[in-house]
Amino acid sequence: MTEEKRHTVDEKSIVVVGGGISGLTTAIEAAEAGQPVVIVEKNAYLGGRVAQNYQYFPKMCPPTCGLEINFQRIRKNPAIRYFTQAEVGKIAGESGNMDVAVKVSPRYVNEKCTGCNKCVEVCPVERDNEFNYGLDKTKAIYLPHEAAFPFRYVIDMSVCKGSGCNKCVEACKYGAIDLDMKEKTVEVKAGAVVSATGWKPYDAKKIDTLGFESSPDVITNVVMERLSAPNGPTQGKITRPSDGKEAKRVVFVQCSGSRDRLHLPFCSSVCCLASLKQAGYVRSQYEDAEITMFYIDVRAPGKLEDFFTKAQEEFKINLVKGKVAKVTPKGGEIEVEAEDILGGGKMRVKADMVVLATGMEPAATIPGVVYDENSFVVSGAGSARTLGAGCAKKPVDVAGSVQDATGVALKAIQAMVRS
Amino acid sequence: MSEAQLIKPDLGYVKEVMNAGGESLKKCYQCATCSVVCELAPDGKPFPRKEMVWAQWGQKEKLVNNPDVWLCHQCSDCTAKCPRDAKPGEVLAAVRRTAYQHFAWPGFMGGLFSDARYLPVLFAIPAVLIWLVMAANGGSLSPEGPIVFSKMMPITTGVDLLFLPFAFLALFSAFVGLNEFWKGMDAQVEASVPRKGFVPAAKELLGELIFHATFKKCISSANRSTAHMLVFYGFIGLFVTTNIVLVYEWGHKLLGLHLPQTPLPFSGLGLPPKIIGNVSAIALLVGGVLMINNRMTNKKDNPASTYDWVFLSVILLVGLTGFLAQLTRLANMAGLAYPIYFLHLVFVFYIIAYLPYSKLAHLLYRSLAIIHAKNVGRDALTLAAPAAVAAVPAAAVSAEPAPEAGETAEEKKENPEASA
Repeated sequence: MTEEKRHTVDEKSIVVVGGGISGLTTAIEAAEAGQPVVIVEKNAYLGGRVAQNYQYFPKMCPPTCGLEINFQRIRKNPAIRYFTQAEVGKIAGESGNMDVAVKVSPRYVNEKCTGCNKCVEVCPVERDNEFNYGLDKTKAIYLPHEAAFPFRYVIDMSVCKGSGCNKCVEACKYGAIDLDMKEKTVEVKAGAVVSATGWKPYDAKKIDTLGFESSPDVITNVVMERLSAPNGPTQGKITRPSDGKEAKRVVFVQCSGSRDRLHLPFCSSVCCLASLKQAGYVRSQYEDAEITMFYIDVRAPGKLEDFFTKAQEEFKINLVKGKVAKVTPKGGEIEVEAEDILGGGKMRVKADMVVLATGMEPAATIPGVVYDENSFVVSGAGSARTLGAGCAKKPVDVAGSVQDATGVALKAIQAMVRS
Repeated sequence: MSEAQLIKPDLGYVKEVMNAGGESLKKCYQCATCSVVCELAPDGKPFPRKEMVWAQWGQKEKLVNNPDVWLCHQCSDCTAKCPRDAKPGEVLAAVRRTAYQHFAWPGFMGGLFSDARYLPVLFAIPAVLIWLVMAANGGSLSPEGPIVFSKMMPITTGVDLLFLPFAFLALFSAFVGLNEFWKGMDAQVEASVPRKGFVPAAKELLGELIFHATFKKCISSANRSTAHMLVFYGFIGLFVTTNIVLVYEWGHKLLGLHLPQTPLPFSGLGLPPKIIGNVSAIALLVGGVLMINNRMTNKKDNPASTYDWVFLSVILLVGLTGFLAQLTRLANMAGLAYPIYFLHLVFVFYIIAYLPYSKLAHLLYRSLAIIHAKNVGRDALTLAAPAAVAAVPAAAVSAEPAPEAGETAEEKKENPEASA
């Protein structure tokens, strides 16, 4: 493993854009087959959205062990180099022979950092913690999350007071903080480029019928993961963001901005299962919870049907066929309205918290990569024939991403061998 | 869950609705967003989600006898929010069109209104009839001397002799259709549901109609209520004007009363119908132009069908020709005044004689449907207590609530789910 510091990488490599579960998988599988690999990750840590999940479906186990194994494989493998806080500027050249410009933003903390936390203790500035979707704060110098890889602090220079303050620099006895660190651009020779840029949750503010901005207790499914995670803002206690009270009456709103010509026209294929899983989080904390899930159709493809069955039996979810189209805060609670299609009338449910099951929108576009009408990567298209892996290519769950990314590793190796 | 019930899809009817402007109906995947965003749908068995699945399955009997398609005022909030662009507002409008044709008496008249190709026939009929009556009275399109329209066609032995029988025929035809409609609606509601009574229900309707209270609940097309009110009251005013003239003419001819005759003077007893007529005509014209403007500016969410456009055009033309006939007469432009008056009579005939079949029939069908809904307590827009949701095991979840007012036990059993 090398965290790359040079300004050029001359050895022709597979460039994997995105260090989430798909990018890591493609990179590690290809490197273990002997190919040099460069990972370009936008965040200050590897692991992507998976690192923010509390548990996987259908096993209901935390993602940390799987990520940890991947990080071990990276540590052991000298063929893998990675950049964090890095983005691909452009891809030049033809398939098999490309120049990739990687823009690396300064971290302001070097590899001498031991994670002792002394800097955080003295830092006077706070910022919204984007890892927890702004539900809590970090200092301007912070560790991205407690299992971050690389395990190194980072400074948010948009809020840091700089050398005028200098308290962290003075507090760090390892000389790990360098406020003068500069952005750099690294030229990488690439035999293959894999876009594993992943997804972002669809912006719930755009869905005017679901009242996302009407109350802090109307949250999205990704926020629910953080609210349930022991390393999250509530230490895993599922409570209402507005007042910290127990959220026992929880409504899940499926297809929030999905399968909708006005929003994402496609089905993200994971949100039904994610909500069933999250119903399990609620049930495990509150024996007397009232959990309602409004759906158009519950989509649990293939073997996941078993999870759907299990969720119905064990999590005791009130499943209502009918899409929610009104969400209204009323005196400290939230009223959710839908037509109960099988029951035969409009239904209004009072909830402590409403979880919008928003879908997966492609997170990034890179110049030189070909995308379809929904901004998903068209793999192997264009003169550079860049490949796509995981959710950059289509909405898919973690297991599916890993399978896809493993197959893409072979395609990338073939491109390298041909070049 | 519901008991199994055999559904017999009427594919011909599916096509009929699609051809009548509901071509998007198959896009619906039954999410029920429409029923929730609709400000007019009642809590029990709301519309238009269930109408969409009925339309997909060709359930004609359910649809044409369903008052709900008339409780819909085509605000198009549903169409605006529909995730599939299935345009429920348009589909319900198309269902209403098929209902006019279904209840049309005699039946062939419904057929004439089912296709824009027959439009020339619909205008040729009054043109020929009016010409014949004019000729029989010895009139022509270019009488000599000062312009007096009754020289072209006298009112009593000309206009009234032609229009009155057709007006009564139209009313009778409408009654036949409405009677069927009422029976059809009533058969869908269990006898045990208490009835409020026709008159109290009709009174409630009138109360809402005066200020178009229901119409104002629309969100996507709130400005439509103003335009509709102008046209609605314009029509009423013109109807009143016509009847005043009728009383004057026949009172003079039959009873020998000293009443003003056409052309009415702008003074004395001639003044009230002049004022009412002109104000009403202006209201009609302004409302009609507003309606066209609304349809043009709101094309995406509220496209109008040919059926809709024809009727709207006729309304405007009635107002326009009536108004122009008066102006050209006062300006002494005989060459224009008489032909314009002739055209005016053609359009007036269209409105009166075709009342049960044209879009004007919505005045009758919608009113009756709303009266029926009020009669059985169907339109209660007040919100019921929120459905209780307890932590129930999944097996108990699908237990159905007690039937709402205005639905039969049979209806409850049926719930065909459309495939997406």
